[in-house]
Amino acid sequence: MTHFSWPIDGTIVGLYLLATMIAGIMVRKYVGKVEHFLVAGREMNIYLGIASLAATEFGIVTCMYTAQNAYKYGFAGAIPGLTNVVAMFLVGYTGFGVKPLRDAGVMTIPELYERRYGKFVRWLSGVVIVLGGLLNMGVFLRMGGQFLVVCCGLNLKYLEVTMTVLLIAVAFYTILGGMLSVLVTDYLQFVVMSVGLIAVTVLVLVKTGWTNAVFTVDTHYGAGGFNPFVNPDLGWQFVLSNTFTSLAAVLTWQPVIARVLAAKDSATGRKIYTRTSFFFIARWMLPGLWAIGALAAATVTPEKLAEIARSMGEKDGTIFAMPYFLGLILPSGLMGILVAAMLAADMSTDSSYMLTWGSVIYNDVLGPFRRRRLSERAGILWNRFIVAGIGLFLLFWGLWYKLEGDLWAYLQLTGTIYLAAMSILLIACCYWRGANNWGAIAAIIVGAALPVLGLALDKLVPLPVLDAAGQAVFKDGIAQTIGWKAKYIGDAWLNIGTYAATAAAMVIGSLLKSALGRHDAAHRALA
Amino acid sequence: MCMAEINIGEHWFWWVLLVACLVWYSTVTVYVAIRGALDIKHMLARLAAMQEQER
Repeated sequence: MTHFSWPIDGTIVGLYLLATMIAGIMVRKYVGKVEHFLVAGREMNIYLGIASLAATEFGIVTCMYTAQNAYKYGFAGAIPGLTNVVAMFLVGYTGFGVKPLRDAGVMTIPELYERRYGKFVRWLSGVVIVLGGLLNMGVFLRMGGQFLVVCCGLNLKYLEVTMTVLLIAVAFYTILGGMLSVLVTDYLQFVVMSVGLIAVTVLVLVKTGWTNAVFTVDTHYGAGGFNPFVNPDLGWQFVLSNTFTSLAAVLTWQPVIARVLAAKDSATGRKIYTRTSFFFIARWMLPGLWAIGALAAATVTPEKLAEIARSMGEKDGTIFAMPYFLGLILPSGLMGILVAAMLAADMSTDSSYMLTWGSVIYNDVLGPFRRRRLSERAGILWNRFIVAGIGLFLLFWGLWYKLEGDLWAYLQLTGTIYLAAMSILLIACCYWRGANNWGAIAAIIVGAALPVLGLALDKLVPLPVLDAAGQAVFKDGIAQTIGWKAKYIGDAWLNIGTYAATAAAMVIGSLLKSALGRHDAAHRALA
Repeated sequence: MCMAEINIGEHWFWWVLLVACLVWYSTVTVYVAIRGALDIKHMLARLAAMQEQER
């Protein structure tokens, strides 16, 4: 039984939504050019950048996967947050990759690649960025709806309606104001979200107690709950895999890099990175503590979580531990603040992601097919249609796709479809003279093919889950299954393998072209 | 094992990290809220001035 009260909490949420919509729509009058729509005319300064980056990179989906990791692995599950902090701080401090990117004055990463690798690589990069980005974002909406349903105790039949209303609200102001609306609403959302996060964390800490939290993790996971290297489900491969993902995301994750590209100059972009970096551990630690509170609570039983998962049509109930726990402990009033904070988090993420994937579709996927330059007005109209189209895709994918395992593992894998290739292309583009289009094309194909193959093997080749005696495991009369990739390779190894193979493809492809070029030149000279 | 047997000091790293997150969030939020509002004001003023020039 949750404490969500429509008169109190509903009013708080309603006021927040009203303020966001008004702010988002008001700035539409400043959008006169495509550059305003996509990168806010490059007029963003440091503190707005910090607020926007922090708000964008914390959605309900973030809260759900960080909490699920903590619920399943204890404090050690927050390691991706630590690798993220280190990667973002070092990249911001040194300017590695991001300085040449911002100095190039491009609106998207593939635009830079055209200068070094040619038009086809730009187009291909755009395609894999959109593919990985949209598959990744596809689960956001469903997670957001499920969080609200479980936490607020809404009737399940309202899940789809909740998702649709959320999406329409976000799409409305994003379509009208583009990046300007995103930045202004992100700012409001950052403030609301931060207040909610702090208030809920303090309450959970008071209710659960630090000693009890540590005791709970120790009881469930032993030393592996604190140290990922000794956790049998994580290990050094988990840390290495997350280090690769963090570095690649900081360098090329379009919603993140969009803040560097929208910054006044590269120095501002780098400051945004160094000063926001610590936030990336906060987004793992705070929801992580909420999940450990759920683990410690006697009322959050595996049976109850399995029942919620069944009702949602999902396989794994651990994802619902945190929202169910919060629904039980938060008093009315604070519940309204939490829901407003989570809506803020979700809306800022959705709007920003829709805009940034849309910018790649407009700029790099469709751009090469345009024979003549579009007027600014037509360009903005195209971008608005693309954002609306992404909204529709999200709605249908979100309704259809069911998660197989860990949410974080899914997001990491779909992100890798483009992160592996794009980060290696960027590093090679900026720091290796020998890099060329053959290497780039080989890297993009290998980088996308391996994660897609992994996802396909999990979906298409289910294997029975066996117990210690080799007998099939049944739950509620249904034989339990595990995907082929999950059983024989594992997410971390697939991720590490993809980065290694992509880097190898880049080097081999580039060297091969150089060698054949030299061979041809020698042949021509002899002839 | 009971709760009294847990050595909390052994896990100081996670406690320090949690407190640092709370302190960081509480202070940075207020600072960014103030400076961010000024950034928005200046950004919109510059965009409005540019639109004026282009007319």
